[in-house]
Amino acid sequence: MSKRYARAITAIFCLFLGGLMVWQLLLPDRERSDVENRTLQQRPVLTLSGVLDGSFMEDVESYVQDQFPLRDQWTGLKARAEQLIGKRLFNNIYLCEDETLISKVDPPADGLEETNLGYIAQLAGKTDVPVYLGLIPSAAEVWRDKLPYGAESWDQNAYLAQAAETGLPLIDFAGALTAHASEPIFYRTDHHWTSLGAFYGANALLDSLGREPLKAEDFTPETASEDFNGTLYSQSGIHSLTPDTMEYWVEEDGLTVTSWRSGSPEPAQLYDRSYLTEKDKYSSFLGGNQPLCVIRNENARDGGKLLLIRDSYSDALAPFLAQSFAEVHLLDLRYYRLPAAQYAAENGIDAICAVYSVPNFITDRNLVFLAQ
Amino acid sequence: MVFSSLTFLFLYLPLTLLVYFLSPLRWRNFILLAVSLLFYGWGEPVYIVIMFLSIAIDYTHGLLVEKYRDNDRKARWFVAQSVIFNLLLLGFFKYGTFFAENLYALTGLQIPQHIQVLGLTIPLWGVPLPIGISFYTFQTMSYTIDVYRKDAPVQRSVVDFGTFVTMFPQLIAGPIVQYKTVAAELVRRVHSSENFAVGARRFCVGLAKKVLLANSIGALWDECLAAQGAGTLTVLGGWLGLIAYGFQIYFDFSGYSDMAIGLGRIFGFYFDENFAHPYCADSVGSFWRRWHMSLTSWFRDYLYIPLGGNRGGTAKTIRNLIIVWFCTGFWHGASWNFVLWGLYFAAWLILERYVLRNVLEKTPAAVKHLYTLIVVFVGWGLFAIVDLRQCGDYLAACFGAAPLWSAADLFRLASYAVTLTALVIAATPLGQRLWARLPAKADRVATPILMAASLVVCTAYLVDGSYNPFLYFRF
Repeated sequence: MSKRYARAITAIFCLFLGGLMVWQLLLPDRERSDVENRTLQQRPVLTLSGVLDGSFMEDVESYVQDQFPLRDQWTGLKARAEQLIGKRLFNNIYLCEDETLISKVDPPADGLEETNLGYIAQLAGKTDVPVYLGLIPSAAEVWRDKLPYGAESWDQNAYLAQAAETGLPLIDFAGALTAHASEPIFYRTDHHWTSLGAFYGANALLDSLGREPLKAEDFTPETASEDFNGTLYSQSGIHSLTPDTMEYWVEEDGLTVTSWRSGSPEPAQLYDRSYLTEKDKYSSFLGGNQPLCVIRNENARDGGKLLLIRDSYSDALAPFLAQSFAEVHLLDLRYYRLPAAQYAAENGIDAICAVYSVPNFITDRNLVFLAQ
Repeated sequence: MVFSSLTFLFLYLPLTLLVYFLSPLRWRNFILLAVSLLFYGWGEPVYIVIMFLSIAIDYTHGLLVEKYRDNDRKARWFVAQSVIFNLLLLGFFKYGTFFAENLYALTGLQIPQHIQVLGLTIPLWGVPLPIGISFYTFQTMSYTIDVYRKDAPVQRSVVDFGTFVTMFPQLIAGPIVQYKTVAAELVRRVHSSENFAVGARRFCVGLAKKVLLANSIGALWDECLAAQGAGTLTVLGGWLGLIAYGFQIYFDFSGYSDMAIGLGRIFGFYFDENFAHPYCADSVGSFWRRWHMSLTSWFRDYLYIPLGGNRGGTAKTIRNLIIVWFCTGFWHGASWNFVLWGLYFAAWLILERYVLRNVLEKTPAAVKHLYTLIVVFVGWGLFAIVDLRQCGDYLAACFGAAPLWSAADLFRLASYAVTLTALVIAATPLGQRLWARLPAKADRVATPILMAASLVVCTAYLVDGSYNPFLYFRF
């Protein structure tokens, strides 16, 4: 090895490590990552106590990770490399046919799936209002034939059969979605259902409650975004797919939305369009997570008051239901801690529907509040 | 801190190299000592105290052995003190919980977890394991023994001795560097661009082994273990898991050794090799002459031979083999499965020595390889699964107490086919042989390209590993 050559090799090594170090130190710190939807670690301050309890070192590690130059590009490079060597599972997301990402459902832990069914049954025993259970199978079940050959995902249909044994009246979301499985009922880059999927879901719910279905021809879908890269896009690191299209079906006119984001009622919107310019576009439906939200429709077709025990799937669903019900209340057990039965009694609710996607339902630890 | 982390690669290492190479020669050992202590204290600052204690005790005992060289009884006593101190250190931090739990299980005697002395709470067991303690206690123990045996000169500079004990390249995962192999280099070593280049290249090879090979195949092992938990493990899945684990531990460990050897070389140290294509061995004995060689030779030099080795007849040799392999197993971890794993190899080595020797001589090479691989990979089952009952169930599945295969296995095979092929090739000397045949010019061009590529791809994998999306997934 000649001296010149050895120096060249040494230079490559040092320039790569040192270069990225200097780049990172010079780069202004980012506050948050939109792709990951979280705040990022800022430059830690050296203190004696921080060193002694090790928190300073932990912060330095997070800082280097979070503020690493070209972070998203590195992740994309890894996903590409994995694709190249035949991988189909990326951070628990399957890359499937038709440019579709589908989240793998793992078996539930601690018997939570069993316990949570019990909490719904307990709610039904505490109130005179009829309680319906609506479990939405995720794309991993409805679109199982899109998964790669042999790809595992927990059997949600078997679980729905188990749910039927509780004796609670069920909303047959599975049947409605399966019947339309060939249509774009889920986003390809996000774990939620599309407005079309929610439309079929709304009819399944109305059917269970003995109401007339809505007609697709009564709606004129508006394209809200053609550039929607959802949660699965972020989680998988696969950034090469065509973005999803997001639609608003229900017109805002005639609907009043009230949100309890900070404990007191304030006017809100059916579609918070400010989210359309951000990463988290699905949150434009009702403006995303909140303890309590009520949609009122004075010209509702059938009238009555519906209480939804919600997860985020309900945000796309509720606008449809407001076509039939005069009031749709969405209550989120993560933030709203007063007894749901009491809420139903105080607000003259006619029916309670616990509507959850199966992956959320079998991992949620807040349903215990229903039993209060 | 581990080598395969962004903090090490893009903060600690560049700064360390900068400070080290900018400082004058006579300061460099001190610099190395200081940065190594920083490296060691990064995860658990308190444990730097143990490091200081260890340096102080072994340093003074080396001097005392030298001082009383003419009084053999005294010299031996100081060697014994050093050995006892190191074993107590290891016993307390690594095996304390194991001893307390087993004492309780056997006799019902309960040792309190803490005692109060002069108002201070002193833990008796259940303390977190200081990283690398298994490695540096063995290194320092061999130092006093070597000084006594006149295999190594005594070290009079506490800084140089401290540099030897704490040297960050091999501090936490070996190879176990015997003092005599670096004694001269501690005083005088060559810092050259050639050493740097060779070391950097070796480091890149190790990094790629760890990040690209070991980490990816480790995920397959996790999947197979999860399948066992879910009751869906098959015969094929079981073997796939064992193979995955065997590759993971080999590439993880040998990758780490490569990085250590490479970093050592950058600083001018020549560490001994730790692995020599162990999965190409054609007998269990040969496997152990190729796997974690610095540990096997440590046990040979400081336990097996002092016990009498194989010179005392069959019965004594068997006894010595059992003792050595009990210790080797136990060294790997404070739990019964590791002991069992060690004894499992003792049994095979004794069998090979006294029963199979003639049979193996007549066996075709391919069958011998297969036999060795099966013994070793079944051994990994014992090694990997701490719970003995679960381990038994897993191995039973491998040997037929489960369906033959499932669609999920085929998905895994398809997902890992390329990785597995790469692992098989990388586990043999094939790559090296091809490389050696390259014309000199091609080698000169390919080396920097491959180094840069491995750095770039490893960085991508490491950044992604830290990729921790907090999604609006739950609602």
